[in-house]
Amino acid sequence: MLTFYIRAVRAESLKLKRSPVWLAFFSLPIISAFFGTMNYTLNIGVLKSEWYSLWSQHTFFLCYLFMPALIGTYCSYLWRLEHTRHNWNSFLTAPLPLSTLYLGKLTQAVRVSVLANLWIFLLFYVCGRLAGIRSPFPREALEWYLCGTLGAVVICCVQLLFSLMIRSFAIPVGIALAGGIFGLYMTNRDYGMNYPYSLYCMGMRANNPNMEIHIPALLVNSAGYILVFAALSIFYLRVHERAAD
Amino acid sequence: MITLRTEFKKIKRKKIGLTMCALIGIQFAWLLWSGARPDEKEKLQGWIEMLYSLPPISVIMMPTVMSVLASRLADAEHKGSTYKLLNTLRRPGALYHAKAVCGALFILGISIAQFLFIIALGYARGYAGHPEWKRYAAAFLLHLACCLSLYLLQLLLSMLFFNQMIPLVAGLGGSMLGLILMYIKMYSFLPWGGFLSAAQAAMDWNPETRVIHFFYRQYSRVELCAVSMIFIWIVVFYTAGRILFSRKEC
Repeated sequence: MLTFYIRAVRAESLKLKRSPVWLAFFSLPIISAFFGTMNYTLNIGVLKSEWYSLWSQHTFFLCYLFMPALIGTYCSYLWRLEHTRHNWNSFLTAPLPLSTLYLGKLTQAVRVSVLANLWIFLLFYVCGRLAGIRSPFPREALEWYLCGTLGAVVICCVQLLFSLMIRSFAIPVGIALAGGIFGLYMTNRDYGMNYPYSLYCMGMRANNPNMEIHIPALLVNSAGYILVFAALSIFYLRVHERAAD
Repeated sequence: MITLRTEFKKIKRKKIGLTMCALIGIQFAWLLWSGARPDEKEKLQGWIEMLYSLPPISVIMMPTVMSVLASRLADAEHKGSTYKLLNTLRRPGALYHAKAVCGALFILGISIAQFLFIIALGYARGYAGHPEWKRYAAAFLLHLACCLSLYLLQLLLSMLFFNQMIPLVAGLGGSMLGLILMYIKMYSFLPWGGFLSAAQAAMDWNPETRVIHFFYRQYSRVELCAVSMIFIWIVVFYTAGRILFSRKEC
């Protein structure tokens, strides 16, 4: 089973070779970090909580509006490779279980989300130092990172399902943008924990680093969403196979 | 005209209108949520506030919405590899023009829906008096022009690149850049900040009394230049797109 999985991941990596898709994950957090740091330094008289203030400036718009859409774009790209020409035939007749093929795609999406999150944190640290913050880096950042990454995996699963079902490249990206914006509303109404697009922002403590969240609930809800959406995707792939026959 | 009609035939059953409705629906939900249950004071300034609240939402959403629209219209050709076939029947410039007009008609529909919605919402909330029609008409026309300039930029990218990730990421980047511009000044010479220049209302916040006062904007000379830049971008993007697409190897 492990050999199958490694083979699927390698195949997906080959498909993505020399594709500049990672550039988006590299450049958008830079814009957000630049803007956040600029805003922080201009309002340093009001924003007194140092790292915590800087964190809210860095992550608010990025986490709510842009990361879901960015992950959506990447997931759309992953499935677009199969949607174009007759690639579905070769994908569905590959000598690997469908669940493994799906896990190969999910792994790529998760990998890029993990790296993007690492990049966000690295930018946060560098910008903090450049902005003149001398206090030690907050210990909670590791928790933010882990919870945020889990939330990103949830978005990956949701978007992979949409991009699998919808042949258009652009519509799932629009759904992700709308999902992110609606996530803002849901978090404001205290329903964030039950809404897949809010889990990422809540995990990252975007806009509110002092927010108390119930971590076991976050873990259970994230795991639930991951299982449900992954199962739906694999089920859809099986149905798709029958349709292709 | 035939090319334009063909464009509409190509997108039949592609549910582009439905997609746009869904995305604009998010804007409507945002507007509904943001100013729900206004008090008497807010009702007095309601019509101006409505004009103030639309541009920030457009700055965030419209670059991405326009990238989705342009990508949907261009993708029909990429997926079917139809450029060679189409270019032998019609000049590439005419094909590009038809796509631009087709998108412009969608934008017109979207903009009409947005403004009808905010006017209906204003009356439903019981705002005092009536909207100032001159200002609302100016806001509508400038909003239309901003959307068109962004659409033409996105169409250019979507037609030139087979990989639709590039134009969509450009759209997302544009949304983010617009957001940043919003914090700098209420006007911008960049295409993504056009909605800011087009805003007909401005706000004055008194930190001591914590009272917000909305007023109709009086444009300075620089701001007027920023507004005219929206129309310059339309010409630039359309011309560049038409030339680049005509020269593109199919």
